[in-house]
Amino acid sequence: MSNEHHITPLRTYLIIAGSLLFLTGVTVWVSYIDLGSFNIILAMAVATLKATLVVLFFMHLLWDDKKNLVIFVMSLMFLGIFITFTLLDTGFRGGINPEVKTAIKSKASFYDNLPLTDTHGNPVESHEDHHEGEDDSHH
Amino acid sequence: MSENQNINYLNHPKGIMSWLLTLDHKRIGLMYLFSGIIFFLIGGLLALGMRLELAAPGNDFVSNDTYNSMYTLHGAIMIFLFIIPAIPGALGNILLPLMVGAKDVAFPRLNLASFYIYSFGALFAIYTIVNGGVDTGWTFYTPYSTQSTSNVVPMTLGIFIIGFSSILTGLNFIATVHKMRVPGLTWYKLPLFVWALYGTSLVQITATPVLAITMVLLILERFLGIGIFDPALGGDPVLYQHFFWFYSHPAVYIMILPAFGIISEIIPVHSRKKVWGYKFIAYSTLSIAFIGFLVWGHHMFTSGQSVFSQIVFSFITYFVGIPTGVKIFSWILTMYKGQVSFTTPMIYALAFLFLFTIGGLTGIFLGAVALDIHLHDTYFVVAHFHYVMQGGTIIAFLAGLHHWWPKSFGKMYNQKIASLCALGVFIGFNGTFFPQFLLGLRGMPRRYATYSDQFSELHTYSTFWSTILGLSIFIAILNLMWSLRKSNKLDPGSNPWGALTMEWTHTSSPPHPHNFESDPVFTNGPYDYDKVIVEPTLKK
Repeated sequence: MSNEHHITPLRTYLIIAGSLLFLTGVTVWVSYIDLGSFNIILAMAVATLKATLVVLFFMHLLWDDKKNLVIFVMSLMFLGIFITFTLLDTGFRGGINPEVKTAIKSKASFYDNLPLTDTHGNPVESHEDHHEGEDDSHH
Repeated sequence: MSENQNINYLNHPKGIMSWLLTLDHKRIGLMYLFSGIIFFLIGGLLALGMRLELAAPGNDFVSNDTYNSMYTLHGAIMIFLFIIPAIPGALGNILLPLMVGAKDVAFPRLNLASFYIYSFGALFAIYTIVNGGVDTGWTFYTPYSTQSTSNVVPMTLGIFIIGFSSILTGLNFIATVHKMRVPGLTWYKLPLFVWALYGTSLVQITATPVLAITMVLLILERFLGIGIFDPALGGDPVLYQHFFWFYSHPAVYIMILPAFGIISEIIPVHSRKKVWGYKFIAYSTLSIAFIGFLVWGHHMFTSGQSVFSQIVFSFITYFVGIPTGVKIFSWILTMYKGQVSFTTPMIYALAFLFLFTIGGLTGIFLGAVALDIHLHDTYFVVAHFHYVMQGGTIIAFLAGLHHWWPKSFGKMYNQKIASLCALGVFIGFNGTFFPQFLLGLRGMPRRYATYSDQFSELHTYSTFWSTILGLSIFIAILNLMWSLRKSNKLDPGSNPWGALTMEWTHTSSPPHPHNFESDPVFTNGPYDYDKVIVEPTLKK
């Protein structure tokens, strides 16, 4: 039985806390860059990395009984099932009716209010990317 | 019976506070039981009201709006306030620690807390009823549920709260099964009811948070205008159905798995024979719990879901039939060449085998996309899930109630009346719901307060038999309550049916406040009728 409490050096905590703060900065920074559909992927990747650090070091899962790790990974698996199967729906909606292919806006409304920039963060006059399904109705 | 056996959990300690603040799993189970039965009766009266309205075409009895409220409340109350909490909360609470030889569940205070969380959530449901009901259907589908002016928010808030009670009960049971088993009671010697509760608890813990998230998202969209489900705000209405059924399909197994467990207990005892295929039944429980997570899309074949996912979901749906079939055949083989006695619990269990098989097979029909597109939202679906939920779960609940009633109270009900009611339930149930299969095949849509004349004969027939069904259940419960009166001297002894699980062999009926008078010693497997001779103490 490994019931002993693992004692983490203060140094480790400080390094992890520093990385978390840094990654928060990264999240804020990239939110001002419009990468199209990669916005969400990048934001979620950074958030996942942060959550992993918290769980492994602050919540001691790295040194804990491995059974708890299994349970934790199982919960991620269920989340994966939910998201995968839901995307199987939204990703293939156009199968029969191509004209309703884009049911969901590809970007969060947040981006509508940002000053327009290109992929390097420089201000531009207008967006080039065309939202499928949005303007089609006017023609 | 010796004198000191008069001390039991029902009379010691005394006083109302000793009940309200009890940490005893048996008392908490009884509180769940009685609140569950009250909601069962409310839900049942709503159902009879609907049948009365549907006895003839036209709006003779209630208005369209009232009818919408009635079916919504019937569904929501029956599912969230009765079926989901009733078997794990009531029978599970009373029996699980006794079956594993523990003094209580792993976290007794958490257990009491989960009952109060359930009661708090139930208050919101009662408020909804008093305040004029809710008219969205128990599934609260968007976009209507974000626009309806009825009490969507109090009802969903109530369900959100009750969900936590469900999660805590599941957590408690898992810890109890892992940590509190008496020495010698290994996993493969656990009673199958414990396996069933374990599988149920896993589903409760993993699925219920998604329901909570769904309800929160719905409330957020209504109050803050955050676009999750409304296309005008950038949302997707079908996403709601994904969220909802990701919980609610596994929830179907939260409802039916404990019922399977009850049947797995009752059939060996009343057939005097070792259960056939113990490991098959145990593992089929776990595989149903898992596959149940992969099939939710079969509720959405007409929602505008992509054709690709329809095919995937339809394909996986058939897999659920396999472990379920394994169980049915195992129960039938358990009875084969056994000494089957037609006691009340056994009559219910046999009714279960019949009705659940019909419910399960019609589920296979509905799992086929091509057929479901025709049958979706018709009475065929209504009949199908009533065969599963009532013909399956509620019949199993009644079976379990009659089986463990002498255990819980040390009193025996009038068995003749009980058996007659069981027959009445079986016949009344088929009379009520079989015509609904035919109605659905002929195109009668669900959730309408009226219909065209061609459907009237079958509807009248269904309404007639529903009164027999309602009356039988009412008398059955009255008969049980009647057995509790003081003058009832009939003592069933400690083991009326001659069962071998620990709750019967190691403690008195009703049990001691601390379950066992001394530390129990595990002696025999739960179904060793081939090795151990045990006589029923009930005199015929």
